Amino acid sequence: MKFSSSWLAEHIDGLNLAPAELGSLITIKTAECEGVEPHGAHFDHVVIARVLTSEPIPGTHLAVASVDTGRYGIKQVVCGAPNCRANLLTAYVPPGQLGVTNAKLRGVDSAGMLASSKELGISAEDEGIIEFAAGNPGDAIPGCSSDTIIEIDNKSLTHRPDLWGHHGMAREVSAITGRPLRPVAAELPSGPAPIAVTIADAKLCPRFSALRFENVTVQPSPLWLQQRLESVGLNPINNIVDVTNFVMADLAQPMHAYDAAKLNGGITVRPATDGESCPALNGTTYSLDPTVLVIADESGPVGIAGIIGGGPSAISASTTTILLEAANFHAASIRKTSTKLKLRTDASMRFEKSQDPANTVRALARAVALLEEVSPGIRLVGGVADVYYSLPPLAPIEFTLAWMQRKLGKADLTAAEVTAILTSLAFGVTEAAGQFTVTVPSWRATKDVSIKDDLVEEVGRMIGYGNLTPLPPLVPNTVPPLPPERAYLRGLRQLLTAQGYTEVYNYSFVNEAQAVELGLPIPDHVRVVNPIAQGQELLRTSLLPHIKRNINDNAREFESFRLFEIGKEIHDRGRELPEEIPHLAAVSFAKHGDGTASLFELKRLAGTIAVGCTLEPATAHAYEHPFRSAIVILRNEPIGRLFEFHPSAVETGRAAVLYLDLVKLQALRPETGKYRPLRRFPTSAFDLTVVAEPRELAGRVLHLIEPLAGPQALKVQYLYDYTSEKGRSMTYRITVGAADRTLTSDEVTATRAAIIAGLEATGLTVQS
Amino acid sequence: MIETLLSDLAAATQARIAAVTTADELETIRVEVLGRKGKLAEVSKDMGKLSPEQRGVVGKLLNAAKQSLEETLTTRQNAFAAAALAARLEREWLDLTVPAPGPGLGSLHPLTQIQAEIEDLFVSLGFTVLDGPEVETEFNNFDALNIPPDHPARDMQDTFWLSNGHLLRTHTSPVQVRGMKKLGPPLRMIAPGRVFRNEEVDASHEHTFYQLEGMMVDKDVSVAHLIYFMKTLLSAIFKRDVTVRLRPGYFPFVEPGFELDIQCLICNGTGCPVCKHSGWVELLPCGLVHPNVLRLGGIDPEEYSGFAFGLGLTRLVMMRYAIDDIRQLQGGDLRFLTQF
Repeated sequence: MKFSSSWLAEHIDGLNLAPAELGSLITIKTAECEGVEPHGAHFDHVVIARVLTSEPIPGTHLAVASVDTGRYGIKQVVCGAPNCRANLLTAYVPPGQLGVTNAKLRGVDSAGMLASSKELGISAEDEGIIEFAAGNPGDAIPGCSSDTIIEIDNKSLTHRPDLWGHHGMAREVSAITGRPLRPVAAELPSGPAPIAVTIADAKLCPRFSALRFENVTVQPSPLWLQQRLESVGLNPINNIVDVTNFVMADLAQPMHAYDAAKLNGGITVRPATDGESCPALNGTTYSLDPTVLVIADESGPVGIAGIIGGGPSAISASTTTILLEAANFHAASIRKTSTKLKLRTDASMRFEKSQDPANTVRALARAVALLEEVSPGIRLVGGVADVYYSLPPLAPIEFTLAWMQRKLGKADLTAAEVTAILTSLAFGVTEAAGQFTVTVPSWRATKDVSIKDDLVEEVGRMIGYGNLTPLPPLVPNTVPPLPPERAYLRGLRQLLTAQGYTEVYNYSFVNEAQAVELGLPIPDHVRVVNPIAQGQELLRTSLLPHIKRNINDNAREFESFRLFEIGKEIHDRGRELPEEIPHLAAVSFAKHGDGTASLFELKRLAGTIAVGCTLEPATAHAYEHPFRSAIVILRNEPIGRLFEFHPSAVETGRAAVLYLDLVKLQALRPETGKYRPLRRFPTSAFDLTVVAEPRELAGRVLHLIEPLAGPQALKVQYLYDYTSEKGRSMTYRITVGAADRTLTSDEVTATRAAIIAGLEATGLTVQS
Repeated sequence: MIETLLSDLAAATQARIAAVTTADELETIRVEVLGRKGKLAEVSKDMGKLSPEQRGVVGKLLNAAKQSLEETLTTRQNAFAAAALAARLEREWLDLTVPAPGPGLGSLHPLTQIQAEIEDLFVSLGFTVLDGPEVETEFNNFDALNIPPDHPARDMQDTFWLSNGHLLRTHTSPVQVRGMKKLGPPLRMIAPGRVFRNEEVDASHEHTFYQLEGMMVDKDVSVAHLIYFMKTLLSAIFKRDVTVRLRPGYFPFVEPGFELDIQCLICNGTGCPVCKHSGWVELLPCGLVHPNVLRLGGIDPEEYSGFAFGLGLTRLVMMRYAIDDIRQLQGGDLRFLTQF
């Protein structure tokens, strides 16, 4: 939102602040100022000039003019405008302004420029150089002056409907600076309503007010009005439309003027019907439906409520009677319609902020005086048509001085300060012995201020938060109750990086192709209803799709690498919130080699994370190497998988993956129990070599030996193997011992014999 | 004579020991002369034939010869061992400038690092750390935070809506609601985590980023307390004294609401391109917890008040390491990640 500092100054008595300073104060006390820019600085230098002579330059469309500029003397200027002629009063731009320099055009010296309205930044008019009916050479351009524009971030105004106009911002500036706000004097005419108005739904349209005028002259606005609108980013159109825009930019009340001759009968504010359409001012015809509120006459919609007026009833050069509307609409309904039609206008932006219904008549009253100035001879017809439904007034807000002091943390805040601040912002304040009763002005009551906490902001910002002394809170000195899983995950991350794994973060989204590729059933996924980009359709039920991408991306840069991610699988649970299960994916990749090292590296890693885990061969998934895939088991529960990616899944090299469910893992981690006394008696050990099929599993045989070794077995270790096509011989070392004595050699021999017998009973051969 | 025999043997052996060139030769001599069946042992066998007086004299001579030979032998043995060790060590010359096999240290994601650092700060001040789900209810994400159904934040363009009727949380603020219900007043909590906005991605915009929510609820928590806390924490985070200022900002779940700016750390407030010549950098939104939010969290706003703030972890990481492309953070590129 652009604010003209000279416009603001017109509302305030004796405002004497540099615009930059004003911008800083507004930032600190009200809303964020995004920039302070000079505007129309050339008006301090541009003057009215009289064309003395104008001679065409042969063979060109140009003319060489001699002009009397008053202040700058007689100047020779080359001009291309068709209306350049002797005796014309126009605008002279001296060199140094608007990029104009002393130049030679077609060999003719030109000292300055004669300018069009567009070149001067007054309006879009560029048919020729500007013409003045009166004035003297050397005069400043009437109604135009240099200004400074203060740009305020729209987002910081979302809760302040009143700050979408200069008058509202001037009220803030008045409160900030202590300079008095000038009253906006305007009276409404009395008389019968000039048009019948019906409102179908008072919630959607709390108020509709209108005036009718006749003997209207449609013409360009005076320059001051054009320049003022242009300075805040509004395009001058004609005097009638310009007045509606001026009032909007001043009082934040959007207005609309209809050519009354084009209206058929009374006005109804109602939802559109299916199939209705509305040709709008901007040349587009909008298809409507019952969610869209329209202003209609007896023939149909003449405007889309709060957003844009209709085309056929627009003000034109032939307009002689007008209906001037100032209405109030439901903020959310306007926003929805504006979004649906993809049409944001200066009006809809303001209505979205919950405008004040009391403002419609203020705006009409202000417009009356302006129209009389810009359309001489204009006459009101009757009084105001004003249909509204009174809302119960907001109850006064009560609070105590002590409460306000505690909220702000300012014990020396006085009742007089609070009263002065609230009064300067137009709140009604009564106070007795520190007990406040405050009424809210209508323009703050639509949604911004309703409870006492809202007034803490008003008082706090005007005192200035920088004037509060930072205060350490008095709180109990307690040890925070920290969730153990956080400490666990942090420790796990440290362990992984210490072992050479680098952490990656991946998105929570996957696309369907990624899910299909890893055999993840599409219906198991929570789906994003409104993805804006490809790859965001599904929430991941596995970390592996992105891990696979990480592998292939990094394989282009590195011969080998280790990486990991700790992230959540998200599993659909219907209407319940989905289950979010933290998982670990660790990768060891090598471009060369047979892949064994990576797999055993990850098995070792598994053993450090899930101490005591074992692996069991798994039926491989399609993306896994069919003979290199295992389930990780901890205390008889599967907690994840160890596998090598199928060669078709990786572009180059071999990638082994350890994938663990961290919820299961944490639950199964053994707790450290009571200490076991150290062994006092020596142990004995013996080796056994088992001969089996070539693909017998070392782990299976180990699990066979363990129970056979009996209670005196302290440790069963796999030592090494020798494998050929004929068979596999695997050597184990069994350590036995007792807690209370040294075992006799007979006992050891008996244990050995029992193991051998047991193994042979399963069909294995034991080498002696 | 046995004495002559003995002295000849001793002299001959000393000569042989002096002449050996290897430890094996030395051992051969030791076995031959000093061994159990060696020449000295043989001499001692003959002692029985001598008279007791002679036996005493010869015995002494025998012991002296033995001791002398053993000493010489040990000296030479030690010399050989020392030489052998020196030779072995010399052979074991190693080039330690060759790279070590195996992987180096891995690295934690910069977001993990900054998050841990900030968590530790808060924990040291008595704050607990909570987690919330990535998928949230519309109620927790909006209603409970005083964001009414008509609020623009609920528009399709900002929020990822899901097939199960829920949404991807757009901020970490829903953990305020969970935290109030879980902990009850008084409470001090932070909630770091991943949040989502339905935005097009470019170098400075992401649909996935990280925030850290903070909340303190107690009796009479004031704006002055909030300023104190923010100044203390931000000074610790930036490892220098930080000047903060509050200015009005609108967020439905706080009243009053603030934008907190810090004085530009590059120019110390004199104005530079980083702070757009304003001297201040907008850092985080904060405010006193709105009474409606306390109420929906099961806390009586007449009895308790609180402050809340939201710190952008992603933004902080980008500031700290001068990262110019936000997409790197979730790109999984080890060339980027191993720098931290």
